[in-house]
Amino acid sequence: MEISTNDYRVWTEGASIHYEGTMRLSGTEAYAPILEIMNSVLGSKPDLITLDLTGLEFLNSSGINLFAKFTIEIRKQPDVGVRVLGSKSIPWQSKSLRNLQRLHPALELTIS
Amino acid sequence: MVEDFGHTHSSNGGDATRFCLKLMAEPLELSWHHCGVTSDFIGEYFSRACPGDVDPVDARHSISYMINEILENAVKFRYGGDIAIDSSLLGETFEIQIVNKIDNETASRFQELLRELLERDPGELLLEKIEENALNPDSTGSGLGLLTLMSDYEAKLGWSFLREHVSEGVKLTTFASLRLS
Repeated sequence: MEISTNDYRVWTEGASIHYEGTMRLSGTEAYAPILEIMNSVLGSKPDLITLDLTGLEFLNSSGINLFAKFTIEIRKQPDVGVRVLGSKSIPWQSKSLRNLQRLHPALELTIS
Repeated sequence: MVEDFGHTHSSNGGDATRFCLKLMAEPLELSWHHCGVTSDFIGEYFSRACPGDVDPVDARHSISYMINEILENAVKFRYGGDIAIDSSLLGETFEIQIVNKIDNETASRFQELLRELLERDPGELLLEKIEENALNPDSTGSGLGLLTLMSDYEAKLGWSFLREHVSEGVKLTTFASLRLS
């Protein structure tokens, strides 16, 4: 599964979801197709979902809300683990991704 | 009549590096993508003017995130008219004022939200709002951008509402400042 635009690309490889570019969509509705991809990975009930954000340079607060909502969905399924990969060279990630861990302490966050 | 909320003053004076921009409503047909383009431009501009002990990558991203969030609100809720942006940098202090017009009803709803935002710890309220939004599929996540700025970026924010004539709506000035590191 893949969504590709001039600004960003989202694609899956098994239970890994990769994000690249700049996501500044206008709200919940605009993010719905991306959430659909994420929910379909969750629907397959893998042991571990990986959210790879190491190529996601900019994200607006509606996008942060998308990841927060998805984290809460994963939290409802204790058999599904989640790992979030971030990059130290992308400042918003060190500032905002820890909120996901506060929502779901079992979430494994690696910013390297 | 003027009503102020939060930090509605600026400290950067005449010595500051300053950059002003007006997004004209009509010829430009102001739309969503102008938020990102404008905030990236101003972020890039000031990252080149930062003092040596400030990380320019962090400055560019933080300035850009802050302006984009405030501009997205300005574009989403504006009641016609232009959007004026006045930004300045003095030492490590980056400040911005964004002026736009909103209608009376939007102003009242926004003031209600601001009273809640300013009363509470932003980090706690951010998580509470996220949990609330997750329970309500129709929720728009209103206020989350401001809370991330206050909580994750330690930005100081303020809002000044000026009502002159009821039929002309409300002039809203958003103040935001960031200590770059």
